[in-house]
Amino acid sequence: MLKQLKRPFQYKKIPLQLDEKVSLGKKAKSKDMGATLKRIWTFLSYNKSLLFLVLLMVLISSALALLGPFLVGVAIDEYIVTRNSDGFITLLAGLAVIYVFHSLSLWFQNYWMIGIAQETVFTMRTKLFRHLHKLPIPFFDKRQQGELMSRVTNDIENVSSTLNSSVIQVFSSLLTLIGTISVMLWLSPLLTLITLIIVPLMFLGMKWITKRTGKLFKEQQKNLGELNGFIEETISGQRIIKTFSQEKKVIAEFHEKGEKLRRAGFWAQTYSGFIPKLMNVLNNLSFAIIAGIGGIFALNGMISIGVIVIFTEYSRQFTRPLNDLANQFNTLLSAIAGAERVFDIMDEEEEFKNEKDLKELSHIKGEVEFCNVSFSYEEDGNTVRNVNLHVKAGQTAAFVGPTGAGKTTMVNLLSRFYERDTGSILIDGQDISLVKKESLRKNMGFVLQDSFLFRGTVRENIRYGRLEASDEEVEKAAKLANAHSFIMKLPQQYDTVLSQDGSGISQGQKQLLSIARAFLANPGILILDEATSSIDTVTELKIQDALQELMKGRTSFVIAHRLNTIQNADKIFVLEEGCIIEEGTHESLLIHEGFYYQLHGKAAVGAHA
Amino acid sequence: MAFYTYILQLQLGGLRMARILSYLKPYRIAVAVALLLMLTELVVELIQPLLMAKIIDKGIMQNDLQEVMKWGGIMVGASFAAFAAGVINSFYAAHVSQSFGFDVRKSLYEKVQSFSFANFNHFPTSSLITRMTNDITQLQNTVFMSLRIMMRAPLLIIGGLGMAFVVNVKLALILSVVAPFLFLFLFWVMGKGGSMFKEVQEKLDAVNSVMQENLSGIRLIKAFVRRKHEVKRFTGTNKDLRDGTIKALRLMEVTMPVLLLIMNLCILGVLWFGSIQVNTEGVKVGEVVAIVNYATRITAAFSIFSWIIMAFSRARASANRVTEVLETEVDLADLWDSRKDLTVNEGKIEFTNVSFQYPGTAEMVLEDISFKINPGETVAILGATGAGKTSLFQLIPRLYDVTGGIVKIDGHDVRKMKMENLRRKVGFVPQEALLFTGSVKENISWGKEDATMVEITAASVNAQIHETIMNLPQQYDTRVGQKGVNLSGGQKQRLSIARALVRMPKILLLDDSTSALDMKTEAKLLGALKEYTCTTLIITQKISTAIEADRILLLEDGKLLAEGDHDSLLKTSGLYKRIFQSQSGEENRNYA
Repeated sequence: MLKQLKRPFQYKKIPLQLDEKVSLGKKAKSKDMGATLKRIWTFLSYNKSLLFLVLLMVLISSALALLGPFLVGVAIDEYIVTRNSDGFITLLAGLAVIYVFHSLSLWFQNYWMIGIAQETVFTMRTKLFRHLHKLPIPFFDKRQQGELMSRVTNDIENVSSTLNSSVIQVFSSLLTLIGTISVMLWLSPLLTLITLIIVPLMFLGMKWITKRTGKLFKEQQKNLGELNGFIEETISGQRIIKTFSQEKKVIAEFHEKGEKLRRAGFWAQTYSGFIPKLMNVLNNLSFAIIAGIGGIFALNGMISIGVIVIFTEYSRQFTRPLNDLANQFNTLLSAIAGAERVFDIMDEEEEFKNEKDLKELSHIKGEVEFCNVSFSYEEDGNTVRNVNLHVKAGQTAAFVGPTGAGKTTMVNLLSRFYERDTGSILIDGQDISLVKKESLRKNMGFVLQDSFLFRGTVRENIRYGRLEASDEEVEKAAKLANAHSFIMKLPQQYDTVLSQDGSGISQGQKQLLSIARAFLANPGILILDEATSSIDTVTELKIQDALQELMKGRTSFVIAHRLNTIQNADKIFVLEEGCIIEEGTHESLLIHEGFYYQLHGKAAVGAHA
Repeated sequence: MAFYTYILQLQLGGLRMARILSYLKPYRIAVAVALLLMLTELVVELIQPLLMAKIIDKGIMQNDLQEVMKWGGIMVGASFAAFAAGVINSFYAAHVSQSFGFDVRKSLYEKVQSFSFANFNHFPTSSLITRMTNDITQLQNTVFMSLRIMMRAPLLIIGGLGMAFVVNVKLALILSVVAPFLFLFLFWVMGKGGSMFKEVQEKLDAVNSVMQENLSGIRLIKAFVRRKHEVKRFTGTNKDLRDGTIKALRLMEVTMPVLLLIMNLCILGVLWFGSIQVNTEGVKVGEVVAIVNYATRITAAFSIFSWIIMAFSRARASANRVTEVLETEVDLADLWDSRKDLTVNEGKIEFTNVSFQYPGTAEMVLEDISFKINPGETVAILGATGAGKTSLFQLIPRLYDVTGGIVKIDGHDVRKMKMENLRRKVGFVPQEALLFTGSVKENISWGKEDATMVEITAASVNAQIHETIMNLPQQYDTRVGQKGVNLSGGQKQRLSIARALVRMPKILLLDDSTSALDMKTEAKLLGALKEYTCTTLIITQKISTAIEADRILLLEDGKLLAEGDHDSLLKTSGLYKRIFQSQSGEENRNYA
């Protein structure tokens, strides 16, 4: 029993460096908080009149909240202490009216504010979403998806919840604070000053606590994050853990990490638990001070009992808003930081920015030409140097070469996911930098390496190639893509719902679906990024057949990872370190006995081995 | 009516909640201390108005400074006593809640580690993670708050009413008539609001999932120029969220104004009757003041109350989600009659009429499969996706139990062996090479904790990864996994092969784990594997790998289609011949 009683005081302390400045203040300073607030304001002020009404209601409710207790004090002084009942009814009726209006004004302010806040968040979300879709591919390639996701979900949520509660609370807290102190000063300046003694105490106490809790909570979050990662890793690694019988080992490790979290959590919670206790003791103290010292004053006839009653009520009304403000300050800061991160994205330059005067590209034949095209990615040294190539309409061109040679880059440049640095790329003789990007892409069909599927039915996923396609057209495309037979074996055929990661169908089947999509789109230029992941042979054969069919009659670019698939290409471009080093058909390149021959030789030797 | 269903739900949830709360048992003394301390605070809070009434009635009204000083002093002392109690309470409450969270989390984790794969299929990884982190944090916070303030609100209401009765029965009656109605009102709003917020949460999930889908599919969306289509789709779900949130919040925000109005009108009543009674029945002024004061405190407690109900309903949901995992029956464990003495010594594998379907599905994945593999043999398994290759593998270390037939290792049914004994001798390399956060060395020795550096190096050399490791910044101490260096797919595969080799397994299972290797490296690797005296099973898509094996098993649609070495299969199996031709290309035809 004694052991249990002692236990809470035996947690090892977590060393904290408290002499550095409180991080909150620093964070707020480092970025331009004012500008962010202003921007939030522009979002809020879409409906200025309603916002004005809310503020008016806050003003009214705060005033009435002050008036109520005041009149109660008056009632006690004038009527109850003096036992006078003339006009008492009128006073009570007045008080009743005040109470009703107080509640009404509270209700209205909340009702309207909820509308404003949700509308604001709605607009922000939609704007952000719209903007995201206008950002160029490099933006997405540079960023971690998880981090981006957290911005568009958590950060906006953060703003949302703050707008819901904080705006009103901050205003009403401020108003109440000012109002309370004014009335108190008016009633008895001396008693007010004495009551205010607790304010510096409160600030000191809060500062002492928050200095510690801020760091401790960070520590706790860090430990929680680590635990989170560990759980994730060990659950997705179950197969390994089980077959290697390492359950005990990971449990022991989990135990250790959990223990760390417990310690950090204990200290964070203990310290933060002091805050309400501090507020309480100060509340009680001020109550005692008012009652005691007010009593002495009353004895001397300086104030009345009613004033004491008013003061005891008011003292609560000003410690509460102070506490609220302190709390709101933290949420507000984190919401502002969140909004900042959201605005960061909105400030990214969109890729369609200077396109207004450009032409639309329509109905192309499919002749493609690269003239002296050079390009380099900012972050790594991967480049494409001085590339010249010419592919006639309807031809199939293939890019081969080792990883990092620039195969994917060529396609990125052609579709203008990335912009070439110098040189020009022509389609049907038209420089593609002089047409609208979306019109360019509309003329292209893509079968990408990772066949992305949306949550939805098989039919919807194929129809993504052409939204207005009829059911018959969808099925026809699926048949052309050799996908029809496996789709018919799915539980609900074309209406089978696929999850986003496409579980339930294999990698190869996913590819067939994305080929069907491309059939439906019926593009002038086809871009094909061969899948690297291993696909079983039977499906692979189906894919090859479907692709041959798809490439018929249109200009096609194939990024080839395996060589046996491109032997029929009209032109093979062999890339190394961003340059085209060989060019020709399969046969001519083999005769040439260059790099392609070597690449090919390797594969053939492997097959013989 | 809504209220009754709410109570009913509360009781149903209560059972599971009770199970979770039983984790508090080891800390019952600390819990008791925390509650006692909280009670101390509460008492102080409750006697404050009473003390003030004394100051007014005994001091001011009687013109007695001494009395004012005395009662004022008591008030200050009481405040400090409450503060001290509160501070100590913080320690106990934090200890209880953190330890409680720690214990629940640990038993949850242990439970999950004992899960079979069928169990795992019930719970997506992400959901298990949220249960172990968010849900437990939620419960932990609820425990903490209960020990500190939650109990306070209802106690304050009851205590406040009680004290009011002590002060003046008739005036207190006004308060006590209203209070039950307020309780009912709050429960009703909260019950309704709770279900509305659940809907809001679902709508938020929908919005976020569209977001996520769009972020990961951005290349495709851009390629197909579907920007407007996506924006339209998003705006729809976003609107739903907005409207739902507005509806739910507006309902919740009705509570405060109503609550305040009712309690304020109560105060009016107290003043009215108070004034009459002061005149007629000699009620003291201080008593009226005290009752007014209790009314304000009760109002404040009520407003906390709505927050508590919300927290509890959230905690209940979390408790449900946690117990759901804890109550899951593990369907794969050592049998009561499993024999301790059985281990894998030779590595003979025998399947007799094995059929298998995944638990909870209707389709047979493997049907009537029989074969024998002798110790030391190397066997390749070939077949289309979905033919059942991986499923067949999983039966060997008993990750799943067979539906029919028997799997025997060294002549013993695998179900008769202790799982740990069985798996200790099996080296498994899965399709997707998964590494754990840590150094290269740790990852390899993961397969055998007491592995010496010599053993680790030997395994890496044979797995053809030693040279690569030596080129890493800190060689064997280089960190991989989260926050570690990026390894290519092929490097990861070879590391995970090294991890299996270091155990010196009797049975080595390679599930298409050489797919990312080039031909030369793969050939070297397979050559090195021959040094190990173990039975090797290789799932592969590459004919070139299969040719190397002693024997090839060809699976199709869950059935064993053909069996034999390369040459004999070329003659007997049409499918095998087709696969061979498709892979080897034009010039390799001559090879056949």
